[in-house]
Amino acid sequence: MPHIPGIETWIAALLTLACMSFLYKDNPFFRFAESLFAGISLGYFIGITLNQTLVPNLILPLHRDFGQNWDLLVPGLLGVLLYMRYVPKIGWISRFALSIYVAYYIGLDFTRRIHGEVLPQLARAIVPLSKFDSHTILYSLIFSVGVFSVLIYFFFSKEQDAVTRRVARLGIWFLMISFGAAFGFTVMGRVALLIGRLNFLILDWIYPMIGLR
Amino acid sequence: MAGMLDKLLSLDRRWIFLLVLLCVGTPIVLPIGLPVTTTGSTRAAFDYIESLKPGDYVWVSFDYGPSSAPENDPMAEAFLRQCFAKKIRVIVCAFYPLGSLGLATNSLAKVTAEYPNLRYGEDYVNLGYKDGAAAVMRRLGEDIAEGFPADVNGTPLAQLPIMKGLRSIRQVQLVCSVATGVIGEYWITQVHSQIGTPIIIGPTAVAAPKYYAYLNAGQLVGMLGGMKGAAEYEKLLAARYPDMARFYQSTRGFTATKGMDGQTVIHAVIILFILLGNVAYISRRAAQKKGA
Amino acid sequence: MNLEFGRLALVFLFAIIPAVGIALGINSPGLRARIPLLVAFFAGAIPIISLYVPKKFLSGPTGMSPRLDQWLIIVYAFAILLGVVNVVQNSTRKIARRESGWPFSIVLLLGLFATGGAGIYGAISHHGITSLPDGTATPFKWIQDQFFQPLQSTIFALLAFFMASAAFRAFRARNAEATILLFAGGLVMAGRVPLLEFLAVPFPPLQPAAAGASQALGKLTEWIMDTPNGAAQSGIIIGAALGAASMAIRVILGIERGYLGLGRGE
Repeated sequence: MPHIPGIETWIAALLTLACMSFLYKDNPFFRFAESLFAGISLGYFIGITLNQTLVPNLILPLHRDFGQNWDLLVPGLLGVLLYMRYVPKIGWISRFALSIYVAYYIGLDFTRRIHGEVLPQLARAIVPLSKFDSHTILYSLIFSVGVFSVLIYFFFSKEQDAVTRRVARLGIWFLMISFGAAFGFTVMGRVALLIGRLNFLILDWIYPMIGLR
Repeated sequence: MAGMLDKLLSLDRRWIFLLVLLCVGTPIVLPIGLPVTTTGSTRAAFDYIESLKPGDYVWVSFDYGPSSAPENDPMAEAFLRQCFAKKIRVIVCAFYPLGSLGLATNSLAKVTAEYPNLRYGEDYVNLGYKDGAAAVMRRLGEDIAEGFPADVNGTPLAQLPIMKGLRSIRQVQLVCSVATGVIGEYWITQVHSQIGTPIIIGPTAVAAPKYYAYLNAGQLVGMLGGMKGAAEYEKLLAARYPDMARFYQSTRGFTATKGMDGQTVIHAVIILFILLGNVAYISRRAAQKKGA
Repeated sequence: MNLEFGRLALVFLFAIIPAVGIALGINSPGLRARIPLLVAFFAGAIPIISLYVPKKFLSGPTGMSPRLDQWLIIVYAFAILLGVVNVVQNSTRKIARRESGWPFSIVLLLGLFATGGAGIYGAISHHGITSLPDGTATPFKWIQDQFFQPLQSTIFALLAFFMASAAFRAFRARNAEATILLFAGGLVMAGRVPLLEFLAVPFPPLQPAAAGASQALGKLTEWIMDTPNGAAQSGIIIGAALGAASMAIRVILGIERGYLGLGRGE
């Protein structure tokens, strides 16, 4: 028995079609959908940041127990200082907040990179090659050679000589295999998104209207 | 021959778009039901959760947005189903700014509706979204409430029975991050490396090649790569739990397994595109050489 | 009033020093750059040193580092909204000057204010942004489910079409490197899906052979992903991580100043 889907389905379906109309050519429907998306995305940031971070982590602690959390006024003020960059004459004041914000997160990044990336990845690349069976060659030796040659390729501090140039070339081949694999995976990822949208259009919008399912 | 191929290559790209649309759309209308084979990294993830005991804690982090939901939603929902079937307590959070909170809320509502005995605040909790993922993760190691003082609805953590006695993420047996970008890497490089909690990642296919390096280095206990990984997980769940086999066969909703038909057809077409393009390129080059 | 050492030290470093810096900077432009670099040093060094030096005043429960983490969650929230001001300024300017496409700027602002307004309403009314007391969706969640999700999904889904078109027109075996890339891409695309089973659908007797070949192809794909791809990604990760770590040191030591809009000599 055919039935007309609810207004929610219609809104989502028409917006989906408006976006897809770009495939034919650029047109006002697409530009409408694009602008709406940009606007809603920014409004979304306001909604979640206010409700999920600023209220529970700043406003409520100050409101419920000021004596215990009085110091949170400082990050609140630093946050406001960031916006001074939009006031031309006193824009420099925002540097104080920006420097704290950037330096702190880059400090965290330093610990993450060294502990979580450099050390474990090097440990994986430095493996014993005592046994010379097929597994060692296929998994350990090729892996170690790959990491070493890619690192040589990325070594820009010294001009390459005849030997390092050859090793770097091998590194490029490893990189090309990886980029090829990444291409294959990327196709898969993008197609998955299209499958999701067409599933919605066909099963949730068109099928009910023609009485299927 | 070369002339025909040249003509084919100069085809208006809108015809290619139409072909792609048909190739992806047709298997939705006429499903093929192609088989899915499982890989080691997905089996490792599945087996790890299977080895957990009732009452253990699993932290599921929604680190993706609607831009990759068809790949990531089935993974997140499969993790939730397995945990709930095993009576594992689940803590949900979201770190991806553009839409992860909505997806976490919707997926949790969908899966918990399948398990009517579950009670919010006792068997599972949604801690909501938080800005500054890297800083929050540092706090999780010492005191979860310093990162997430309240759940998604504003209820203080101290008032939630599930959080009684759970102070740090060190007490959590596993983190499953379903991720589209760098936040999955934060879980590995910050939480696993500095705190030690085991991690499973469910990345999008686009991000998956990089995660193989972390998997290789023993920084992950398992990984589900894109929609294929999610389909593998659904297969493993269906094989282990008869209820879920019935669910995945009968549901009207979208599943990764259903999506694999379209994936296969479009992969065949794109490989054909690449072959045709290269045959035309090589034959044109051969003709040019002959002419010279 | 909680006057633990960690909090007082942070207030001194990140409130009193900046306040003095702002006061002095009004008359002395040179200090407008130097004092931010001084506080940057402390902000960057505290999370690093606290990891290696387990001293109570740094990483203990009442130390500086745990509270600094909590502070910076809040500052991050303000920072993520910085772009909103920029977009509002640009869009209002476009509308005021009636520049080409100005009606779309109105659509953008309408979307922004409707969604942002629904979010602000959720905070003021204490209902939040997920569900109302009667279990129905809040206005914010309604906009998110009906507008935001389909729009974001579809905009990204368009990439599938362009990817297919690029494969047809641009993916060429021009040299050895491009050929390797092409083969690896083709193998992975074929090995991650049941391609051979699909091709054998019209020929049922060939199905078992197709299934066997498909499994072998799948194993080859896994090897490519694990070993050559894993090695290349590992090399990229190590190289990028060392670069990022050295950049972090440059920022913390005040050598890199570009992010503050300053040159080397300023």
